[in-house]
Amino acid sequence: MISDFAFLLSGAGLIGLALFRLATSADLLMRVLGLNVLAIGIAMVLLVAARGAAGTDAVPQAFILTGIVVLVGVTAALLALAERVAEARDE
Amino acid sequence: MMVFDAVLAAACLVAAAMALFARDRIAAVAAFLVMGLLIALAWLRLGAPDVALAEAAIGAGLTGALLLRSAHRIPAAPTKPLPSAQWLGAGVLSVAVGGAIVWTSMSIGAAPAYPPLVAVAVPESGVENPVTAVLLNFRAWDTLLEIAVLFAALAVVAVVKPVRPRIAPLGPLMLPFARVVLPLTILLAGHLLWQGGHAPGGAFQAGAVLAGGAIALGLSGAVRPIRWGRAGLAWLSILGLAAFAVAALAAELLTGALLGYPAGAAKAWIIAIESALTLSIAATLLLLFFGPAERH
Repeated sequence: MISDFAFLLSGAGLIGLALFRLATSADLLMRVLGLNVLAIGIAMVLLVAARGAAGTDAVPQAFILTGIVVLVGVTAALLALAERVAEARDE
Repeated sequence: MMVFDAVLAAACLVAAAMALFARDRIAAVAAFLVMGLLIALAWLRLGAPDVALAEAAIGAGLTGALLLRSAHRIPAAPTKPLPSAQWLGAGVLSVAVGGAIVWTSMSIGAAPAYPPLVAVAVPESGVENPVTAVLLNFRAWDTLLEIAVLFAALAVVAVVKPVRPRIAPLGPLMLPFARVVLPLTILLAGHLLWQGGHAPGGAFQAGAVLAGGAIALGLSGAVRPIRWGRAGLAWLSILGLAAFAVAALAAELLTGALLGYPAGAAKAWIIAIESALTLSIAATLLLLFFGPAERH
């Protein structure tokens, strides 16, 4: 129970830190990194919520797996766009 | 183990703070990689080994490689000093959101509704691993759309056409390294794929491991993934979505339910779809890293 609470605090902390960084940074790379940390924090909170007497619920686990794969696609697309923005600024 | 968990949870936070607030970008990405591995360990402790595997391979490994690739291509934005009201507002807001999440999670008392339903249906699903059963049988529709999202991301990258990473051939120790890594990667991917049916593992983890090995070899100059057929890789990345869609329609014809596999044959259907997905995810991730199209 204490362990779950520690991980819940950690997940909420990750969300808070990432939101703070997203609100105060203009650096595109750091924003993409912040988005990744935010998603990981949300996944952590979901996983803690999935804990039960019969082990960890499989449905939220499947959600998170889907989320991780979607996130890597989003990250790749955002980074490609950010690189293009940087090039356009140079010209 | 309670102390270990508390230290691990704190370490995740410290690594995240280092990643988010490091001045040097390479240091930030390195801290992000460390955080990903710590998070994978934390999720293992939370009883979710499937998700931990995916986080270690995709969340830490591949995302870290993508960020590192882009770190020197995206110049740092000119730092304008922010008004202190914005710092204060951001701080108050993020603490409030974090606190609200903790408070909400603590005040939910209801037991989760899904575990009994999953436990009843798993024997019919064709696989013993409940996470694989949810991903490829009960909620296969979500996974089909997820593959479509991955393909859409690849299409965006193909349109934007990022610059290819510069490949510097390494020294003579590269070939022995490749001789070990390449067979090991393929073996590990096959093992994860097959194991997904009854133990932690599955198509996503297997595809990510395959892509990781291919990216390492491609960056070292041992093989040229771009030369040996970018068109082939592009076709391979469509294969997963196409095979999944065909399977969905075939199941619709056979049983009258979209993605309702014929009784008794579910395992064969799931393994066939997962095999196509593994190759396709590996090809998609490889192309997302190296860029699917040449810029003229």
